[in-house]
Amino acid sequence: MSQQTQIAQNELIALLKKQDKNAMHYLYDNYSAALYGAIVRIVNDEKVAEEVLNDAFLKIWDKIDTYDAKKGRLFTWMLNLTRNLSIDKLRSKEIKKVKKTDDISDNVYNIERDNLIQQREEDIGVKDLLQKLREEERLVVDLVYFRGFTQSEVSDEYAIPLGTVKTRLRMALKNLRNVLGVKQ
Amino acid sequence: MNIEEYISSGILEAHALGELSEKENQEVMAMLEKHPELKEELSLIEDSLERMAFEIAITPPAGAKDKLFGQPEIKDKPEAKVVSLEKTSEASSYWRYIAAASVSLAVISSVLAYNYWNKWQSTETALNTLIAQNERVAEDYNHVNQQLDQIEEDLKVINNTEFKRVAMKGTDNSPNSLAFVYWNTNSQEVFLSVQNLKDLTEEKQYQLWAIIDGAPVDAGVFNPGESNLLKMKNIASGAAAFAVTIEPKGGSENPSLETMQVVGEVAQG
Repeated sequence: MSQQTQIAQNELIALLKKQDKNAMHYLYDNYSAALYGAIVRIVNDEKVAEEVLNDAFLKIWDKIDTYDAKKGRLFTWMLNLTRNLSIDKLRSKEIKKVKKTDDISDNVYNIERDNLIQQREEDIGVKDLLQKLREEERLVVDLVYFRGFTQSEVSDEYAIPLGTVKTRLRMALKNLRNVLGVKQ
Repeated sequence: MNIEEYISSGILEAHALGELSEKENQEVMAMLEKHPELKEELSLIEDSLERMAFEIAITPPAGAKDKLFGQPEIKDKPEAKVVSLEKTSEASSYWRYIAAASVSLAVISSVLAYNYWNKWQSTETALNTLIAQNERVAEDYNHVNQQLDQIEEDLKVINNTEFKRVAMKGTDNSPNSLAFVYWNTNSQEVFLSVQNLKDLTEEKQYQLWAIIDGAPVDAGVFNPGESNLLKMKNIASGAAAFAVTIEPKGGSENPSLETMQVVGEVAQG
């Protein structure tokens, strides 16, 4: 972000709402890598990830009017929008695969996810970041933040009570604050 | 719920991750308005999520940006789109009908979508209510089932001819009191059925005595208000009578005879 001219958040939002294309360029230059990193980890395929990134920015451009600063930061909004697109993409891909192999087993979706988790182990960036966490916290952050599971899905698929999932995610994010340099 | 509990429930994280329903989001926002410390906490959470994303950022492929900004959605501003639509509409009234039709279609779909969304919302509420009701019914069922088991056990004792039934009637202290002892002289088991005994203060308990050879033998203490058959201490053969007195909590070694509530002789034979 350092080479870029810093634009104050509310100014940026105002410009975007006016459909200012320079603001859009600024947004892409500053945030595309963070969003792309999140997409790649969910869809696990660079070609597909590029499509999703493209769709995400089109959607941000299109829906910026619906963004409400009271609900949270612009980045949070963009990230959730992007994560949702990634998850939708992942599911539509998996549904196609199920149809192709003519396999009606519900497990295909889970197997696919399990495979991805194994590959995720080799994701050095994520691994370094999460190494300070306890095993059970790491699992929840990995699934929720990097894999796009909802907390209820984690609860269902790993038979952990929803309350416990929520507490673990909260503790994990809290424990990461130091590593991430969040000022408390 | 206090603020600490609210925070530690993890609802702010779920809010930041976009996992809450519209209704829940509204509730969170109302809380945020009321409590500045919640806003601070949410800001820390969002900061963590944002920094995490930058921590694992990957630069997208080189051509991706040009491709994105070359697309008509971004290249042409929305105002321009509207103008061009008007221009073409002059060219042919055919397109005007198409446009009108698509607008109507869009309006109708929006209305339908909103309608279905509402229905979905109320269905979800109804489902949650039903789930809660179901849990309550299951609890009640368990409770009743346990009571039934207890009653069946009680009936086995009452219907067993090996048990002698001793009616203990109220003494002058409490003429209306009534209780029964079921005593099996072979197995030495003693059960007590309380029909009517008055309430006691916290520090007091009832104590059952068996009178053997003229001397009282402790058969256990019990609290007032028990409706099921109570298992008391075993009493060997030879009891001529049973009696209940009021004693300090935990029972006494020797009965306070002046407090005797009920007494009954064992029928011989």
